[in-house]
Amino acid sequence: MSQAVDGNEAAAARGTGAPSARSMADPRRTSWPILLIFLVPALVVYGAMTAYPAFRTIWDSFFTIDGSDVSFVGLSNYRDLMSDETFWIAVRNTAIWSFVAPILDVATGLLLAVALYAGVPFARFLRVAWFTPVLLSYVVVAILWMWIYNYDWGIVNLALRAVGLGSLASSWLGSPNLALGALIVTHAWKWAGFNMVVCLAAIHSLPGEVLEAAELDNCGWGAKLRWIIVPMLRPTLLNLYILAFIGKMKIFDLVWIMTGGGPLWATETVSTYVYKRAFNWNSFDLGYPSAIATVWFCVVCAAVVTLNRLLRSTERLEY
Amino acid sequence: MAAIAMRRGLGRSALALVIGIYTIYTAAPFLWLATMSVRTTNEISLDHYAWPHPFHWEQFRIAWVDSDFATYFWNSTVVVVGAVAVVTLVGAAAAHALARYRFPGNRLIYGILFSSIIFPPQITLISLYQILVDYDLYNSLFGLMLVYISLQLPLTIYLLESFFARIPQDLFDAAKMDGYGDLEIFIRIVLPLGMPAIATTLILNFIQLWNEFLFAVVLITDPEKRTLPIGIRAFMGDHFQDIGMIATGVMISVVPVILAYVFFSEKLIRGMTAGAIK
Repeated sequence: MSQAVDGNEAAAARGTGAPSARSMADPRRTSWPILLIFLVPALVVYGAMTAYPAFRTIWDSFFTIDGSDVSFVGLSNYRDLMSDETFWIAVRNTAIWSFVAPILDVATGLLLAVALYAGVPFARFLRVAWFTPVLLSYVVVAILWMWIYNYDWGIVNLALRAVGLGSLASSWLGSPNLALGALIVTHAWKWAGFNMVVCLAAIHSLPGEVLEAAELDNCGWGAKLRWIIVPMLRPTLLNLYILAFIGKMKIFDLVWIMTGGGPLWATETVSTYVYKRAFNWNSFDLGYPSAIATVWFCVVCAAVVTLNRLLRSTERLEY
Repeated sequence: MAAIAMRRGLGRSALALVIGIYTIYTAAPFLWLATMSVRTTNEISLDHYAWPHPFHWEQFRIAWVDSDFATYFWNSTVVVVGAVAVVTLVGAAAAHALARYRFPGNRLIYGILFSSIIFPPQITLISLYQILVDYDLYNSLFGLMLVYISLQLPLTIYLLESFFARIPQDLFDAAKMDGYGDLEIFIRIVLPLGMPAIATTLILNFIQLWNEFLFAVVLITDPEKRTLPIGIRAFMGDHFQDIGMIATGVMISVVPVILAYVFFSEKLIRGMTAGAIK
């Protein structure tokens, strides 16, 4: 991205330097028909499959749509939404997930990256191995962890019983108090490797002298982490936080397969609730879920813009 | 001195321990799944954690032939390969125009195309369902493919644009002087030079679409047209107790991803993390 801008600026600089004789054949310019050949396919795909459906969803949110029966209801979907308790539970769960879980993801990723950077044998192999869960589909991860959490023979309960803590063995996905936490752990298992790789690359791009100087001062890894790595990696860590945040605002697959939003709405997220209202309850109304989707679309966009502003405007570390 | 050395040694072994435990934590569930995929459900229910003995490789044949996983596999392959091929070509063309040419609205178009990467899927999901029903594309692999193309377009343009922009302008100036047209430049210079980035995008799009669940589950209901993720989920719904066969089906869906990872791990990791590294 920044390279692209640099490239354009460099070309602009060259353009002003060169005499206008060359401007006729400025290689940075071309005719509109050529540009359209390149751009139209992408714009058509975007228009037909992204922009139009998005507008249509927003438009639909003012109607009740029951099959081919369409009736205008104004803002009543939104009024209903405000007093829909399940919706607010879903918002609360999604918010907990989006704000808290990324801290877990990013912290694990950072610690793993520091461990690899500290120079362990097989670092290359470990990096590849730890990244593997990122590539597994949510369906696979969900099935695997449903078995891991199984009450009778899941490894979690077996391990607890083996060390004499059998009383702590629980139905991890069946208990309203534990289910959300259990899902967050599963999600972190999938994504920690991603954060690790990004942090590792960022640590490697730090100027080596700083860490060497800390080494000379006999500074332990804890201190290095606290005073050097975290402050210098701030932009990367914030980026990762925002990425994880966006991902969690959209979370659907894992929840849908592992708990279906239950028990008792304990893991309901906005995405699963929209899906239920649109396709799973036999209520046959696409207007109301469209209203939820519209509200959530605005919330996600606003949250991303605000987070970007808030986190980026604070002083940047220069090095 | 000795004290420091000892502390170092202690720190080393603590570190090794943590790393060992974490490696088991990431890898063991997957190995467990792999062992179950070659055991029958009866064996598994006797002891869930035993080593397979003997290896029931016929589980894969049964899953492939009798449990319809072959259908799911080929459906997934058709949809994903088709979508990836189209999105890469369409995305590369747009990325080239945006990276190379100066024209009014360049950054605006880039911003519009890219911004949809943060959209929650529901904003298009419900309407896409209605639209595909309207155009008789509901329950069709072709319809799903069109949706997949649009899902991966922002990421494709983002990755390729940043790479194409780094191709030196001199190459293009030289090509122009040799009388290359704009389309020729794209086909004979940008595509070959951009191959590393294109390969990354191909693999990344492949894996993300191979794993896609939400749109498939909404847009496909016909059992004959299920892709692997929804096929496995449906199989699990019908045969909840048949753990061995579920594990085998899951392995079938994972193998292509693992193969891609074995051959292209560096490219994949770079592609997936490109957005986050500053």
